[in-house]
Amino acid sequence: MKFVDEFRDADLGRVVATEILGAVEPGRHYKIMEVCGGHTHSIYKYGIDDLLPANVELVHGPGCPVCVIPMGRLDDGIAIARNPEVIFTCFGDMMRVPGSEGSLLEAKAEGADIRMVYSPLDALRIAKQNPDREVVFFAIGFETTAPSTALTLKRAKAEGVPNFSCVCNHVTIVPPLRALLDSPDLRLDGFVGPGHVSTVVGARPFQFIPADYGKPIVIAGFEPLDILQAIRMILAQLAERRCEVENQYTRVVPFEGNRRALEVMAEVFELRPHFEWRGLGFISQSGLRLSNAYADFDAELRFSAPGVRVADPKACQCGEVLKGVIKPWECKVFGTACTPERPIGTCMVSSEGACAAYYNFGRFAREREVV
Amino acid sequence: MTECTSEHCITCGDDGVPMRVLRIDAERGLALCVDDDGNKSTVEIALVEPVALGDSVLVHAGVALVTLEQAVGA
Repeated sequence: MKFVDEFRDADLGRVVATEILGAVEPGRHYKIMEVCGGHTHSIYKYGIDDLLPANVELVHGPGCPVCVIPMGRLDDGIAIARNPEVIFTCFGDMMRVPGSEGSLLEAKAEGADIRMVYSPLDALRIAKQNPDREVVFFAIGFETTAPSTALTLKRAKAEGVPNFSCVCNHVTIVPPLRALLDSPDLRLDGFVGPGHVSTVVGARPFQFIPADYGKPIVIAGFEPLDILQAIRMILAQLAERRCEVENQYTRVVPFEGNRRALEVMAEVFELRPHFEWRGLGFISQSGLRLSNAYADFDAELRFSAPGVRVADPKACQCGEVLKGVIKPWECKVFGTACTPERPIGTCMVSSEGACAAYYNFGRFAREREVV
Repeated sequence: MTECTSEHCITCGDDGVPMRVLRIDAERGLALCVDDDGNKSTVEIALVEPVALGDSVLVHAGVALVTLEQAVGA
């Protein structure tokens, strides 16, 4: 497959792994955070961490949108979904995320009309097909997904679809990275930067990482060779005492991003003063809501919802996993009370969540180590 | 609409699917695209216009975010 097969070549992978081995200083421990959940998934799926020297540690970041959504926001969505006149639409992974009183899937089983969609455009289509019902889209995602919601809302406005609205949970990637870099818990040496977020925002927003914090960041693709090469590029920067934004994923990511996507987002959304992130708490200007021009499509204004903050279950350590403070298997309930079939925390729900990725792919390798 | 059962949820993660443009409806800003497995879907192309038949685009949540050939070497 073009753009895929050539980046899964095992022989080339071994060559890059050997180069990585040659690039590390013996006795130095390297901590590299992969920001994006898609990278976490690939790392475990392809066993990339097994190819790295023991002193290169990968730390999983907060870049899975399902994993960072706080329980209170989900409760609000479920409350809206339970309205008899509402058809509630969301992406697949949201369905099993536990709220304080069950998940969307459970609400659906109890009779709520909740439907899975692949795109907000599908939700708009449902609205046009059901003019006598209210159709609500539960929007989540970083800057990769936000343009899709924005274009859908523009289309809804242009075509005059009054029964369509949106619960906006879109978040932006830079504020949580800054929060992590300011956290005293972590000592990171560099970042594998998010690939597809960067197709929208470009490389420029990440320049604060080398400029303000003196750390390298390399924007990377999602195939095994992409990630290995990005790690090699980070180690090369560290060895040469450089720190800058580099783009490994040039076949997809233009340095300037997508100007039109940024414009449509600026038209449809505005920054919330604060937004809560699971595990990271409230972060200033890190979430998006609909702008005044699109207030008519704001489901939070159209429907009443509890709007309260709900604490995570005590047993759940997703917050520490999301901050990279502990590894998934170090959580007290990992693989026992919390599994992908019956998740307690969000990191076990999404396939991009660190716990689910590790549970599905990585734990067998660890069991071999333990034996 | 099919159930999201793949191991890698295309809508949730920072995931993108390379697709080839088969047909263009410029007036509505839409294109019919096909991925390498032969799955076809209607894709919003407002963010990457102009595209030509046969172009490869990266699609996320029903929207083409970048024309792949353009990004190479950028």
